[in-house]
Formats: sequence, C-alpha cells, structure tokens
Amino acid sequence: MNLKRYFPIYKKYPKLAYLDSSATALKPQVVVEAMTDYLSHYSANIHRGLYQMSEQASSAYDETRKLIAEFLGTKDEGEIVFTRGTTEGINLIARTWGETYIKPGDEIVTTQMEHHVNIVPWQVLANKTGAKLRFAKINDHYLISNDQWEQLINKKTKLVAITHESNVLGTINPIAEITAKIKAINPTCVVVVDGAQIVAHQPVNVVELGCDFYVFSGHKMYASTGVGVLWGKRELLEAMPTFMQGGAMIREVGWQETVYAPLPDKFEAGTMPIAEVISLGAAIRFMKSIGWKTIQEQEGKISALVQKRLGEIDGLKIFGPSDLANRGGVFSFAMEGVHAHDIAQILDETGVCVRAGHHCAMPLHGLLKVDSSTRVSVGMYSDEKDIEGLIVGLQQVKKIFYHG
Amino acid sequence: MDDLYRDLIIDHYQHPNHRGSLADGVSANEANLMCGDTLKIMVKMENGKITDAKFEGGGCAISIAAVDMLLDYVKGKRLSDVQKMSGTEIEKMLGVELTPSRKKCAYLGLEVIKKIGL
Ligand SMILES: Cc1ncc(COP(=O)(O)O)c(C=O)c1O
Repeated sequence: MNLKRYFPIYKKYPKLAYLDSSATALKPQVVVEAMTDYLSHYSANIHRGLYQMSEQASSAYDETRKLIAEFLGTKDEGEIVFTRGTTEGINLIARTWGETYIKPGDEIVTTQMEHHVNIVPWQVLANKTGAKLRFAKINDHYLISNDQWEQLINKKTKLVAITHESNVLGTINPIAEITAKIKAINPTCVVVVDGAQIVAHQPVNVVELGCDFYVFSGHKMYASTGVGVLWGKRELLEAMPTFMQGGAMIREVGWQETVYAPLPDKFEAGTMPIAEVISLGAAIRFMKSIGWKTIQEQEGKISALVQKRLGEIDGLKIFGPSDLANRGGVFSFAMEGVHAHDIAQILDETGVCVRAGHHCAMPLHGLLKVDSSTRVSVGMYSDEKDIEGLIVGLQQVKKIFYHG
Repeated sequence: MDDLYRDLIIDHYQHPNHRGSLADGVSANEANLMCGDTLKIMVKMENGKITDAKFEGGGCAISIAAVDMLLDYVKGKRLSDVQKMSGTEIEKMLGVELTPSRKKCAYLGLEVIKKIGL
C-alpha cells in the first residue's frame, strides 16, 4: 500500500526518505486543505459570533473535540481540553493539579526514559512544594521492570508521570498494567501519561488504560503544529484551579470575583488555535479513512525491516528493546567511532532525514553512556525504499569513517 | 559531502595531534548546545606566545578536525592574536563551506580559545 500519495511533500521531493516522524509527522493533503479552507473561506472567531460564518467555524472546532473523544474512547467531550501541545498539557497539570494537591513530603515519580518535558516541570513542582522526585529505572532490556513500581510507590506517592512510548528507546510501556499496579498500592495516586509518541501509531483507550490524565500533540499525528490535547478525568479537571485566565473561559466576571465556565472551556482561555484544531480534526478523519489495520501493518513491517537492517551493520548498537512486541518504530543507535551529527549529515546528502542529538532526553543519554545518538523513526508513509536509502547512506558512513 | 568529509578532516578526527592534557597552563571550556558536546582547551605560554596546546572532549568529525587544525596553527602565535581570529579563517583551514548548524561545530574550538584568560 503506497500511502505516500496522500502526502504532497512527495510530489515536490519524490525521492525524499523522511525518517524523522517522531519529531514531527508529515502532513497529508486533506489536512493542508482543511486548514486552508478555514483560513480562506470561513476564518471567523468561534463561539461568540452569531453570524453564519462564525457558526461554521465553531462547529468545525467542536467537531474535532467530538472526534478526539471518540479517538480516546471517552464519551465525555468536556474531558477533552485543547492545548498548544504535549508540553503545555504537562505544564498545565503540574501548575494546577500539582500546585494544589502536592504537599511537602509527598512523592512524585517519573521514569528514566522521559522526554525533558516529563522531567523538568516535575522538578520545578517538587522544588516549589517540598516534594521528592523519584525515578523508575530502566533495565538491561530498556524496559521498566515490574518490581520498580512495588519499590517506588507508597502512600506518599501523589503522582506518577510516565511516557506511553519512549521517543528515544521506542519502548512501549504497558500503561494499563502499570496503572493497575500503582493503584493497587495507592488508589489515590494520579497517573499522567505522555502519549506524544504513540497516538499516531496505535489505538489508545484512556478508560482501558485506567490513567487520570493523557496528553499528546497534534503535529506528531499528521496535524499542524500549535495544537495538542489534554484528556483528564472529569472529577479531577473540575477540582483543579484554572491555568490561564482570560476570554472564553469565564461565565461571569465581576470587579473582584469571577465564575469560570464549565469544562472544557474553563481551560481554554483566549482565542484558541482554531485553524490548527480544525487540522487535527482532519488528521483524525484521515487516519480513520486509512484505518488502524493498514497503519499498523505498514509500520510493523517497516519497523521490523529497520531493526533487521540496522542489526546487520557491524559496530552499530541500537538502544531499545529487541522484541518488537515491546516497542514502536523509533530506533536510536550509535556507531562506534562516528558522531551522530556526522551520520545525520552524511545521510542528509543522500536525501535521508534522521535526527541526531540527545532528543530532549539528556539524563537518559547519560545512562546509555553516549552524548548523542542517531534516531530513525517511521510513519505510515515509510516504505522499503526509505530504508534502502538509509542503509546506502550508512554504508557511505562506514566507507568514510572505517575506510571499508 | 565527499568534500566535507575529505581525508584530511577524517584524519585529524581519527588521529588528532593535540588530544590530551597539560599539567600546567591555562584553560577554558564550552559546550555545543545543539549536541551537548563539551570541549576543553589548555594552552602553555612563554612570553605571551603559545608553546603547547591540547584539547579534551568529544565531538563530531567537523569540530574535532577544526580544533586540531586550529591548535596546529596556534603554536608560536600570541594568544591575543589567536583570539582575534574569525570563523571564516576556520572554514578556510577546513577548506570546506559549512551549513549554519555545522558552523557551530566548526567554531567551537575558536570559541573556547577566546574564553581563555577571561
Ligand atoms: C515523548 C515526548 N513527549 C513530549 C514531547 C513534546 O511534544 P511537543 O514539543 O509537541 O510539546 C515529545 C516531542 O518531542 C515527545 O517525544
């Protein structure tokens, strides 16, 4: 199945081998068109206009919320809050729920495989509140062992923040199992899941996961930058203070006191990124039209190929689970004696786009005992030819650096 | 590309003349924020002139080759003159044109040397 034909970038660069989808996904034509249509033909502000064009914009905006609710397996649209992205979602939780409910002596737990955004806001929160920040360790298979939760979780643990899929290791954490373990020890502990890396690649059902908050970004799932989603359990969202204050999130404003709007408006202050939200709706419709079966088959096939072909290169080490059952299509690796930047640059010359660096996970790279790694990641459009290009490029790297 | 990764650069990267440390001398270090690589340069001077120079730290081929070539060049020169050098001169030494992101790698050595004695 050639899914590249849905993505206009390949018309301009037919030979492009884009292997950086975990940084951001390419955009399909229908997403570009939905955004352009709004910007060209009905670019009114939402919710406050009584004229038709504003109603049209409002209904396109609200339609995305409905699609997201369905996408995440919740019936309550009030639990879907639009944000600027994963980063804003996590910061919102830390600043509102966190600053209200975390007390001195409490414990916050995250893991060693987190993106900086799932570490730094918790550091700040811990420092502000006098709580302690603890980390679940990764084992030799790049997984978090079950015993970690038994060791770390206790009655003082107020919040656990964990990524669903690591943007470096590709590890997929079994969230439903982990949440059940955590809640068995401490039923009131709140579980925050960073879904940034997984939502484009496999179905997610927040009810089945049993977590309390789930956040992700639109741009990694074929939508525009500038929009993301925070899902939270209604009773938690209702009990939280507001994050930003301004227009649209109020019910009644007096000189001294304000009554806030109900969910989800309470957390959507000011004019939201309307075009971007509409693009997210288009992206979900697009993914539905392709179907999970096709997406997962294609990505599964290509991930297996990446793993096999990278594994055949001498001196190359993949940092991540070897069992495809425990991982997604994100492969970070190092090559003996070659810096990641040089690898990425040589690959770029052959039209292969990969990422090099610490991928916003410096502490994790410290554990891996490297300063940086090269990362290959797949999207639904990735195909055998892209991987062929990658391998040709890596052979060029070997030729230059190993003279062989 | 074959130009950028020509033999001279790979040779300096794989067999640098100046990797190591000096027991006495003055030093400075700096990180490349893009990749987190840190570089330390130590120089020994007599009468204001550099008599020996070494570097420590990791980096890509471009940054290592650039610092190694720079340290070849600085021997016998006045530190104050070296600190007046520009990035263009580094590019000339490397003999290649660099993209904006690789300029950061190539100029790292020069930036570190400029910090010495400050
Ligand atoms: C696991 C993970 N969490 C969070 C983020 C941050 O996402 P954003 O920059 O879209 O807010 C990323 C993206 O790099 C990520 O990979």
